[in-house]
Parts: sequence; structure tokens; C-alpha cells
Amino acid sequence: MNLDPGMILRRGFLGLVALFLAAPLIVVLSVSFNATRRMSFPPTEFSLRWYGEFFGDYAWMASLERSLTIAGLAALVSVMVALPITYAIWRYQAKAAAVLAGIGGALFLIPGVVAALMLSAFWGVTGHVGRLENVVLSHAIVLLGIPLSLLMVGFRTIDQAQVEAAYTMGARDSDAFRMVVRPAMTPYILCAFIFVFVLSINEYLIAYMVAGFTVQTLPIKIFASMRQGYEPTMCVAAVIFMVMGFSAFTLMSKVADLPRLMGRTRPLED
Amino acid sequence: MSTAEPSLAAASVDQPAKPRWMLAGLLTGPALYILIMAIVPAFLMVQLSLAHREVGGLWSPGFELTQYRQLATPLFARIMGFSLLLALTGAVICVSLAFPAAYFITRMRRRAQVAWLVFLLGSLSLSEVLIVFAFQVLLSTSGTLAGALAAVGLLAPGGALYPNFPAVLTCLVYLLLPYVILFFYPALSQLDPEVEQAATTMGASRLSTFTRVVLPMMRGQILTGVLLVVIFTFGAYLTPLVLGRPPQWTIAIHINNAAMGAGNLPLAAAYAVAVVVFMVALLVLTRLLSRRREAAA
Repeated sequence: MNLDPGMILRRGFLGLVALFLAAPLIVVLSVSFNATRRMSFPPTEFSLRWYGEFFGDYAWMASLERSLTIAGLAALVSVMVALPITYAIWRYQAKAAAVLAGIGGALFLIPGVVAALMLSAFWGVTGHVGRLENVVLSHAIVLLGIPLSLLMVGFRTIDQAQVEAAYTMGARDSDAFRMVVRPAMTPYILCAFIFVFVLSINEYLIAYMVAGFTVQTLPIKIFASMRQGYEPTMCVAAVIFMVMGFSAFTLMSKVADLPRLMGRTRPLED
Repeated sequence: MSTAEPSLAAASVDQPAKPRWMLAGLLTGPALYILIMAIVPAFLMVQLSLAHREVGGLWSPGFELTQYRQLATPLFARIMGFSLLLALTGAVICVSLAFPAAYFITRMRRRAQVAWLVFLLGSLSLSEVLIVFAFQVLLSTSGTLAGALAAVGLLAPGGALYPNFPAVLTCLVYLLLPYVILFFYPALSQLDPEVEQAATTMGASRLSTFTRVVLPMMRGQILTGVLLVVIFTFGAYLTPLVLGRPPQWTIAIHINNAAMGAGNLPLAAAYAVAVVVFMVALLVLTRLLSRRREAAA
């Protein structure tokens, strides 16, 4: 047992950070299992009643389904846009691709409300208002920075010697792509997809300003219910978000080297 | 986190000549999408901020500075001042918690690091709606926290823990902390452990190694971390709306109110343009500051 005071201090500090980050989640989780309609913490009596009510409610299920559809399509679009850009940077060092990636990265840095306003003005001008695809295309552009940077990390892990060997042996681009690039990139593509999916499903302001009156996503529905007062099914919706987010990132840690994906290049022993 | 700036320096060897048609085939689709969904809306917003406001939430193209004149009012100065105060307070708290946390995490064994990363990514991605809702439950008058504080006399019985400034600040710190930890993660994990070992061997304590060696090396990163918090805080909408009172409303709420509530899109656009200009100015300032420091070092 290591009783070095520095170690105790470090552990204590990280423990407090973890507790702070976990506290609101624990509260919501435990309130969701409470039997009473009143919001009370700590819960008094265990019950799955609100889960039954949530999954039996047409409006909640419709919002959940809508959010899942939007997130899936937005993730697909942004990965499909980021993939050729990052490939062109890696394979051809194309300046035009670097400019596109720069714009994608810059978009990630503008405050959410500004992006929301820009996009809602855009859809207003096109006259194509209040549609699901507006949210899909808006989420995909705002979150484009994520697949761009994750896929770039992926391309950098590809062994250049292997690619060169393939070309020396007379492989064409398509062969090299199939034999070297695709297998190496699959986990990164999957991670980029998961990351955009999770962020899209949680996003409120853009979805609300672009099509909030007609396309009620899960966050919009939760916020609308919040304004009408407390309802225990809201906690269930919140728990669903938590479960989806944490399982998505656990999955991500299984398919890819998470420390590397988050920017660590120095090797890390087990 | 590295998502903020996709690095463009792709390491690569000599490649065959670029086939133009190949590049065109690869990039036309993405370029069109980015043009239509990012460049056009940005121009549109600038145009909108100069447009003429009509009744009933409508506007007609024009070139007038009516909306920008509203930026010269004490009201706007107060809103921006408050947003900046909130952002800087939040940044100081976030960075001083996140930096040591990220430092400790990067020194853990792999399994512990992966667990922390999953936890941080999971809490980072949680909807602002959800976090605000959780804080509402946590801070509610019927909650344990209020009860405990009332019991020790820190809170009047039946008193509320929100809406007020500390509630807004705490929730913002909560939302940003995982972001900022993950932002520091790559740079701190790149730090050569041998540098620290060398300092320790030469007799420096762990603490002074941290403050004299690690911190100065990370100045630029820390400044950028602060900037990240400021950008996010200026965009924060739900937190001040639910956990604050009107004096604690950030610029984001006013933009949204102008656009959705009052139907004055040109004013909302002028506010937004002002925010972007302000952000760019901060970005340039940060770059200059970190460059001067590097030059001095």
C-alpha cells in the first residue's frame, strides 16, 4: 500500500472532481426510480413505474425515435463529408482540402447560439422550414470538426511504409485503399460516427432554432416539459441520455485506442 | 481536446503526381456542402444584420446601421460585460481544476486513463437541457442540499438555491470541466516524463517541478483553454435562462429573444456579428500573448 501524501492528495482531488461530475447524474438516476410523483431526493420507495409510463407514452417515444433518426443521419453526413477531405489531405496534401478542413474546424469554435442563428436564417431564406432534414444538415455541418480531427488522427496511424510497399508492388489507388486504408480506418470512422451521433442527439439550441416548432427532438421535449413543471418521466428521458452516452463511449474504447484518439501520441503501456 | 483544431500537417512521403480529376471527384461534394451550409449562412447573417426590419418578424434587404446603433447602448455594454465576467470567472475556476486533473490523469495506468476518458466523454456529451434539469432537481427547495444547508443555518428554511449567480456559475463549470480536461489531455500526455524526472533528480520537489517546469511549458495551452471557456460561455443559453435571473442573462439569451421572441432578426444578427468580432479579437489577442511569452522564454 502506497501511503505517500502526494498520492493521497492526488487521489483525493480526482475523487472530488469525479464526485462533482457524477452528483447531478446520481440525483437524476435515483429520482427516476422514485415511486412518488413529487420530486424528492433521496427517493423514498423504489419503483419502475415511470419507466413503464415513458415507454408507453406515444409522444415521448416519437421524440426519441425522431432524435435517433436525426443523430444517425447527421453522423452519416458529417463522416461522409469529412472522409474525402481528410483522405485528400493525407494522400495528396491537397491545399483545397486543408482549407475545407480549416473551415470545418473554425465552425466548431463559434458560439452555439451564433451557429444556430446563422442556420435558422439560412433555412428561413430558403423557405424550407421546420423539416427534419434541416436539423440533420445543420448538425452535420456544426459537428464537422469532430470527424475531421478523429479521421486525421486515424490517417496518421497508417504505416506509410506499408502504403509505399503496396504501390511498389504495382497496386493502384483502389487496391491500396482496400488493402491498407480501409482496414486501418474502420475503427476511426466508427468512432467519428459515434461521437457525432451522441453530440447530435443531445443538442438543443440548433435543433430548436432551426425546426423546433415542428420537429420535437428529445431535448426539446424535455425542455418543453420542464417549463410546464416537474414530471417524473423527464428523469427517465434523462437516464436514457446517460445510458446512451456512456455506452457509446464504452463501445468506442473497445473498438479504438481511446487515449490515442483523444490526442495522446506517446505510447502508453498497459 | 484535439477536435478544436484539426492539424493539417499530414506526415507523408513523396507521392505520385496529384490527379486533378481525382481530387475534383473527392472534394466537389464536401466543398459544395460547406459552401452552402457554412459560407452562405455566414454571409447571410452579415447581410441580415444590415437589413431593414419590417413589421411581423419580416425583413427586407438593405444597408443600414440601425441595428448596430443599438450596440452602442448601455444595455448592450452591460450584457457583454456580464457575459465576459461570467466567462472569465468560469475560466479561472475551470482551468485551475482541469489542468491538475488532466495532469494526474495522463500519469495514470492505461486502464484507469481509459475509464476516465469514457467518463469525461460521457458527461461532456450530455445535453445542456439534462444538466440544467439535474441542477434544478439538486438545488430545489425540497432537495437534500437545501435541507442540509438550512439545517446548519446557511440557508433560510424554505429558501431557494437558485436562480442566482452562483447557480449559473456552478452549472457552467460543470458543463465545461470535462471539455477543458480533455483539451489539456493531448498536450500534457505529450510531456516527456524524463523532463520531470530530471527536475526531481536535481532536487526539485514534485510541487515545484509542477509549478516551475510543467506550468511554464503549458502557458499557450492554458491561454487557449481560457479562450475555449469564454467562447462556450458566450454561447451558453439554457443555463443562465433556467438557473439565473434576467440580470444574469448572457448575450446568447438576448440573441435568441430578439430572433424568436421579438421577431427582430436583424437585431439578433447584429448581436451575433458583434459576438463573433469579439471572439476573433480575443483569439488574436491570445495568439499574440502566447507568442510574446514564447519569445521571452
